[in-house]
Amino acid sequence: MVEFKNITYNYSSKSGIYDVDLNIQDDEFCFLVGPTGSGKSTLLKLLYFDLFPDKGEVRVLNYSSSKIKKKDIHRARKKIGVIFQDYKLLKQRTVYENIALPLHINGIGRKKISNLVNEALELTELSRYSKKFPNQLSGGEQQRVCIARAIVKNPDIILADEPTGNLDPTTGHRILRILEQINKEGTCVIMATHNYKLIAEKPYRVIELDQGRVVSE
Amino acid sequence: MIDKVAFLFAEGLKNFLRNKLTNFLCIITILINFTILGTFFVAGFNTDSLVNFFRSKYTFEIFLNEGVDSRQTNAIASDLEANLAISSVLLIDKEESADIFLKEFGENVVDMLGYNPLPISLKVYLEKDNFNLKNIESMIEEIESYNFVDSVEYRGVYIDNIEDKINLFIFLFLVLVIGIIFISIQMISNTVKLSMSNRSDFIEILQYNGASNMFIKIPFFIESILQSAIGAFIAFLLVNYSFIVINSYFNLNIQVDDVLWAWMIGFSLVIGIYASNRAMKRILL
Repeated sequence: MVEFKNITYNYSSKSGIYDVDLNIQDDEFCFLVGPTGSGKSTLLKLLYFDLFPDKGEVRVLNYSSSKIKKKDIHRARKKIGVIFQDYKLLKQRTVYENIALPLHINGIGRKKISNLVNEALELTELSRYSKKFPNQLSGGEQQRVCIARAIVKNPDIILADEPTGNLDPTTGHRILRILEQINKEGTCVIMATHNYKLIAEKPYRVIELDQGRVVSE
Repeated sequence: MIDKVAFLFAEGLKNFLRNKLTNFLCIITILINFTILGTFFVAGFNTDSLVNFFRSKYTFEIFLNEGVDSRQTNAIASDLEANLAISSVLLIDKEESADIFLKEFGENVVDMLGYNPLPISLKVYLEKDNFNLKNIESMIEEIESYNFVDSVEYRGVYIDNIEDKINLFIFLFLVLVIGIIFISIQMISNTVKLSMSNRSDFIEILQYNGASNMFIKIPFFIESILQSAIGAFIAFLLVNYSFIVINSYFNLNIQVDDVLWAWMIGFSLVIGIYASNRAMKRILL
């Protein structure tokens, strides 16, 4: 499902990722760990075609970084849910409207949108906040809205970039539990984090990066 | 599909209502530009009928000497009609000349003088499509040299001068139209760019959630369409009612094209869509 074939990506500031080879299966839950600047976010950005490798090939679902056209990137992204550390929520829209956005993009009917959004709200325990605006919520609640938005379209992969980075440990564990639940339903989850404590006792695959290279698996 | 269209339309409408100041400024610019443009459209519309009026006067009159009989006159008329630059020739005999004199001056020349001194004349109608002043002038010179011709009356030079001025006006009008179109495109384009840069976060979120460029563009198109249509419609009302007032105040008969509203709104929509597409092409690669 996800394949990195000898990937190198250089930033102008002489940082990046180098010679990365990885395979991640359909229903895997996997952590990308490493210090800040180790290349975790870069790997995720390569997965949703926000960046393209200088060398090698990234394959996600049936899309290849070397073959995909710019105009087709949106098709791949429709099957990928992305969770950001800074949430990237629309401040002028309610929680409900934020979560419904990917469904509108996918051209789903109003009635079905209502059902799917309510399901996502329930899963993320946000039902009572549906009419609130993001700035009326705490960081943990906003992150749950971001998760709900990522899962509502039933994606094949969830990419979570430091989803617990700004949250207290209790809320962090809560977020992780939600992601685990999503994974149990068959969705591949790739989560970047530098919070070793959070993932310490989890039985999932851990890929450790340092200075742009995979140092352990 | 209907839900998607409704969502995009609602988004465009919401954006339009949210960015009140930028939209207001853009509508004002379109209003000013299209008021000028509409005024020139009306002027151009009326210029056309003015040109046609002058063209209907493309004639000259040959006054024949005393003693030229009807056989000679008919022969001259036939010769003239054979010329490709002439569309028809009308023979005006002495009686008809006296009737014209009566109509124009209210006096019967025969009663006044006891005889009819008015000459037989030939009114020559020129071909409007193949009109060439130099050719006509040399033809008139030749006709004047005939011994049976007393004089030739032709005001073509004046008509030609007026037409030159009208052509100059049309040229200036076109230059101004191009200028106004350019300003309108720039203004709408800049408004869309400003609007897009204000909403770069929104665009980014849409892109990460799988929105195609077209999905992102449509609300901006709707915003531009609303700006253009509102600006042009108010401009039409302004132009239309201004000419109604001018006509009644100065007792004129300036005609306003029945479909001027369609021209103005349609034209503004084309400009609006083109300008916003141009702006978005540069931002959404």
